[in-house]
Amino acid sequence: MRKLFIFLLIAITFVVSACSPEKPEKNNTLVLVEGGTFKNTKSNYYGKSVTLSNFYIGKYEVTQKEWAEVMRSNPSQFIGEDLPVETVSWYDVVEYCNARSIKEGLKPYYNIDKSKKDPDNKSDNDHLKWTVSINAEADGYRLPTEAEWEYAAGGGQTSKSYTYSGSNKADDVAWYWRNAGVKYLSGDWNWPVIENNNSKTKSVGLKKPNEIGLYDMSGNVREWCWSWYGDDLDPSGGSFRSVKGGGWIGDIGSSELSFRGKFEANGFGPDQGFRVSRNE
Amino acid sequence: MIKFNRKVLTVFLTVALSFSMFAVTASANTYWQNWTDGGGTVNAVNGSGGNYSVSWQNTGNFVVGKGWANGSPSRTINYNAGVWAPSGNAYLTLYGWTRNSLIEYYVVDSWGTYRPTGTHKGTVTSDGGTYDIYTTMRYNAPSIDGTQTFQQFWSVRQSKRNTGSNVAITFANHVNAWKSKGMNLGSSWAYQVLATEGYQSSGSSNVTVW
Repeated sequence: MRKLFIFLLIAITFVVSACSPEKPEKNNTLVLVEGGTFKNTKSNYYGKSVTLSNFYIGKYEVTQKEWAEVMRSNPSQFIGEDLPVETVSWYDVVEYCNARSIKEGLKPYYNIDKSKKDPDNKSDNDHLKWTVSINAEADGYRLPTEAEWEYAAGGGQTSKSYTYSGSNKADDVAWYWRNAGVKYLSGDWNWPVIENNNSKTKSVGLKKPNEIGLYDMSGNVREWCWSWYGDDLDPSGGSFRSVKGGGWIGDIGSSELSFRGKFEANGFGPDQGFRVSRNE
Repeated sequence: MIKFNRKVLTVFLTVALSFSMFAVTASANTYWQNWTDGGGTVNAVNGSGGNYSVSWQNTGNFVVGKGWANGSPSRTINYNAGVWAPSGNAYLTLYGWTRNSLIEYYVVDSWGTYRPTGTHKGTVTSDGGTYDIYTTMRYNAPSIDGTQTFQQFWSVRQSKRNTGSNVAITFANHVNAWKSKGMNLGSSWAYQVLATEGYQSSGSSNVTVW
């Protein structure tokens, strides 16, 4: 009788586990983006003679689980394994890229010199000004350039020229100040109202993906890019690094894929995260 | 060094956030909220036309105001504060934002026990009084563009303005004075309101804006 019970228990466990839907794997998930010229008519690069090579980009924003596995810490204000990591500066994220590359046996993409102030960094508020250069041929993790980010957010070669990444309706694809709290907010953007509504980041991948299967390119957290920010695209220096996609704090205009956000490289906040890229 | 800075900035951010934890906010005649926290009460009434009234007791921070969804550097803001009776820390102020550059600005006509201050840049005479011009910085603070480091511009009247009659704030005078001090507002204008702001205080106000 006891043997039968144990047999039944094992059988039930097997059947149940076989039927359970697997949780989507959100680690190390990169999408290969086919290069080319910009097809999204809303993009700042549309109609310009910019042609991108193939590259990989994260399907999701880097999660706190992915951050903690590499950095053994978690700076985020809102804690949860599947929430995007936030409150990370640009310097933090280039260090993460290199540390993750080393952990996975890849060649680090960045050379980080903390002792030499970067003469191209004109910011009055950034007192770190680390000099960071690239190993262009390295296979390690890196940030997307502003052009790569916008190309991927715009759907690449299969673009449908959406305003936000994956839709013309923000609520379909983006967590932003109106929908990221307890109640759906109306009226004008107003920080005390947003905070009182317990607005916060959300687990990655809950909204619709864009044309090439990328989630949360618009909204949730803003994403650091490698590029400097300037009036012209891709300047050789400046006061800010490019941030794209908008987050849960800012007004919805900042989640349009063409919106050119900026932030001092040492800046950080509970709406500031990133996703990784790699060369093909 | 980064750790030290971060700690200081995090404290700053935390303080800034907690200040607004207890806010009741309205702006540009489009949004009103009225709520109470455990330690105090704010009753805001969205009156007809440009009128609003608010009474508050032992509150955290709140801002209630009325004005325009889109600010303007050339607007003359007329108002009548029929009631202005703060007990503690509160401002009667023109308040707004510009983007690109991101600036939060104030023209403070009256206050309770605390007169705001900052880095002194000069003075401007307008609408029958002299205002001190200040700048302050907010580091890694929430804004309409998400978390940003940005400047606040202030004109603060040297002595409290009399209330109870029709008065005007000729905003262009402040904009031009700020510009002469190298304080340039942004090119894109978010809301602009005549507001009652209070922090850890009590009082009442009744203001009509046009």
